[in-house]
Amino acid sequence: MELPVAIIILLIVLIVLALAVFLLATIAELVKINRGLAAAIPLVGELVSKTAPVNGVLDAINGTLVTGRDLLEGLALKKAGPDGAGLVESCFPGEGAKFLRRVGASGAVLPIGEDYPRGAAILNSLLGGTAPVPAAGSAPAPAPAPAASGASPSEAVPGGGRISLRDTPAPAAQEPAEPGRLSAMGARPWESAPAAEAPAEPGRLTAKGARPWER
Amino acid sequence: MTVLWIMVVVLVVALLLLAKLLSGVLGAARSITPTVTAIGGVAAAGSKDLDAVIALVTTQNYISQVVAGLANYGGSLDVALPDA
Repeated sequence: MELPVAIIILLIVLIVLALAVFLLATIAELVKINRGLAAAIPLVGELVSKTAPVNGVLDAINGTLVTGRDLLEGLALKKAGPDGAGLVESCFPGEGAKFLRRVGASGAVLPIGEDYPRGAAILNSLLGGTAPVPAAGSAPAPAPAPAASGASPSEAVPGGGRISLRDTPAPAAQEPAEPGRLSAMGARPWESAPAAEAPAEPGRLTAKGARPWER
Repeated sequence: MTVLWIMVVVLVVALLLLAKLLSGVLGAARSITPTVTAIGGVAAAGSKDLDAVIALVTTQNYISQVVAGLANYGGSLDVALPDA
């Protein structure tokens, strides 16, 4: 046998061996992958089956919450009138304008409770109490000024359009015991100092008279 | 004889090329295996985490009750407070 022929035969054998080794190793890896996928697929199916009802439940929850929101917004609109958007803005900064859009109204959002902890000014105004101590850094973002009127709400009404109780000095005892807690304690008539002003109409829970444009 | 030597060279080149290509295929297959194993582990953990999804039904029930309470509260406020 000549030398080149022997080398050719040897090379062919090597090629076949290489093919066999690498392909067998690849097949072994593919079998492992197949087993891994077989184990993973049922788990992914569990994920799918467990998340399937989430959309419906969340839609139902959102529907219920929207109903509650509409209810409260309708109540705010009915009871607070032009202040409704300001009340919403006071509790949820940035939502006053959306509230106006939802109820089909237009105009300025008067930032009620701008200088006080969230809700404290509202409770105080409703309960006819005195002003809480302003909390630094708790002011909600003011709503954008109306473009149509030309004048800002602060210019349109005295006191900047806020329910401002600043003219009544807040006693030190009325400072909230826990900073950040929205407490109406001390604003209630029966808890206020004797020198505190009584509501104009005792027993009537109203914020009327505290609004600058109703003075 | 020359033709035979040319065949030898071609076969050597083919062997090297084949080894490189098959090595690449094997490397790719080996890299998939741990990924599939990890997917299985993550899916198992995710499936276990999603066991709490059933609590959403309870949450939905509670939210319905809260909104119903809000409705009652709003009705009371409607009576207690004067209109604007």
